[in-house]
Amino acid sequence: MNRFCLVCQNVDCKSRGSEELMKELQDRVAAKGLDDVEVRSYMCFGACQEGPNMVVYPDKCWYAGVKSEDVDDIVAHLAGGPHVDRLDKIDPSLKELIYQLLDTGVF
Amino acid sequence: MEGILFPRGVVEGLEGLDAYRSRGGYDAVSRLGEFSPQDIIATVEASGLRGRGGAGFPTGRKLALTLECPETPHYVVMNGGEDEPGSHKDRVLMENLPHLLLDGIILAAYAVQAEKAYLYINHNYEAATGAVETALREAREAGYWGEDIAGSGFSLELVMVAAPSNYVAGEDTAALEVIEGKEPLPRQKPPFPVTEGLFGKPSLVNNVETLANIAPIVARGAEWFRSFGTAESPGTMIFSLGDEMERPGVYELPLGTPLRHLLEECGGGLKGGKPIKAILPGGPSSGFLLPDNLDLPLDHDALREAGSSIGCGVVKVLTEGDSVLDELMRIADFFAKESCGQCPACRMETNMLVALLKKVQQGEGNDALTEQFGKVIAFNKGKGFCSLINMPGPPIESAVRLFPEEFRGA
Repeated sequence: MNRFCLVCQNVDCKSRGSEELMKELQDRVAAKGLDDVEVRSYMCFGACQEGPNMVVYPDKCWYAGVKSEDVDDIVAHLAGGPHVDRLDKIDPSLKELIYQLLDTGVF
Repeated sequence: MEGILFPRGVVEGLEGLDAYRSRGGYDAVSRLGEFSPQDIIATVEASGLRGRGGAGFPTGRKLALTLECPETPHYVVMNGGEDEPGSHKDRVLMENLPHLLLDGIILAAYAVQAEKAYLYINHNYEAATGAVETALREAREAGYWGEDIAGSGFSLELVMVAAPSNYVAGEDTAALEVIEGKEPLPRQKPPFPVTEGLFGKPSLVNNVETLANIAPIVARGAEWFRSFGTAESPGTMIFSLGDEMERPGVYELPLGTPLRHLLEECGGGLKGGKPIKAILPGGPSSGFLLPDNLDLPLDHDALREAGSSIGCGVVKVLTEGDSVLDELMRIADFFAKESCGQCPACRMETNMLVALLKKVQQGEGNDALTEQFGKVIAFNKGKGFCSLINMPGPPIESAVRLFPEEFRGA
């Protein structure tokens, strides 16, 4: 099964640089030849104040407040490395809601 | 049938100053010095009038709260933003009964001791704007507003403001922002406008239809007003029927009138005598009712107990063969587009509901997916500055309950 790195592209996250982050992640993932990973946009995870937000699925790993200096570690995770624990700061009830939505196929 | 606003309960064309005066119009205003603000408030409180903009807050209470605020000046705002899809009642009132409306605004302004009242009118409403403008001039010339009204020592200025036609611009605090010259964005509440409204001052913001009820109540008394409607929901309400009915239009009916009377006697049933599948009795943010509910009385409490709401009286009827899902998609799409984007939770919820409905429409519905609607709605409930975030919930959740088959996959 493919893995997804879903990067929020709604107003707030975009204003915090999520468009550039998504582009950078796409380039890096392609350069590394991670064919099973698709970096794509997501409409909103409902944690706008914590943005930019991204969720790695089906890993169910949520990274918030991502900066370009975090990209190395995130790409390492996508390549099979460890989760980037310092970017995991979202309320568990919101995580639960979003993960369930993703499980039902709402992409 | 006799109405409170429309003498015969139906629209009969533009009522000019003379015609309005001949049925007792402006009588209280021309004797304003004989009443105290408290007299007017007591009468409105005794009438049991509740706001007609959708929330149903007791109007007398709102007047009293505004008058009590020590800070000055006080303001009145007539909210004629009317951006609810299918709602025409405020437009129809402004176009046809502008003097009735001004009479009520002047009395309300006196009751809260406001020095200025703003008439906030949807900018697409050309005829309504014209009718109100003419009425304002006539009423001014007759001395019903301006300096020292009828020798009472009370002075009032009336000003028209064009309202943007997006949905949130009709929200009371967004109206205040527009009048202050800003973008139509709702404010966080509290503070409520009664204590901190226009320019930070105590402000009475009322829907057009609510204000239209004030003059008849003051002129003819609370007891007469209560002879219409039910004990808990006294008076009448204007209901709007859409083009799916034989006789679309607006009808003023006593609250508590059975839904069947509105749809069959007034509206003549669905076009071509088609059978009813579902009814949204209070606009796109109300819950669905079934044909079994046709004998429900149209009042705040009865509709709430039936899992719906009276809202602003916009009634939409679906027939056999109409898709509830398509209707939900239109509603969800509308609220997603009209969300102003200030509140993250609202943005997430409205977008997510559209995404979920799309999945169902594509034939990918299943029980797990259906469950997500309630979860998304519950998670976000009340998390916005304004009530838009709570709007798509009732139609969607009632549809999940009443029409589960429409949510299953192909």
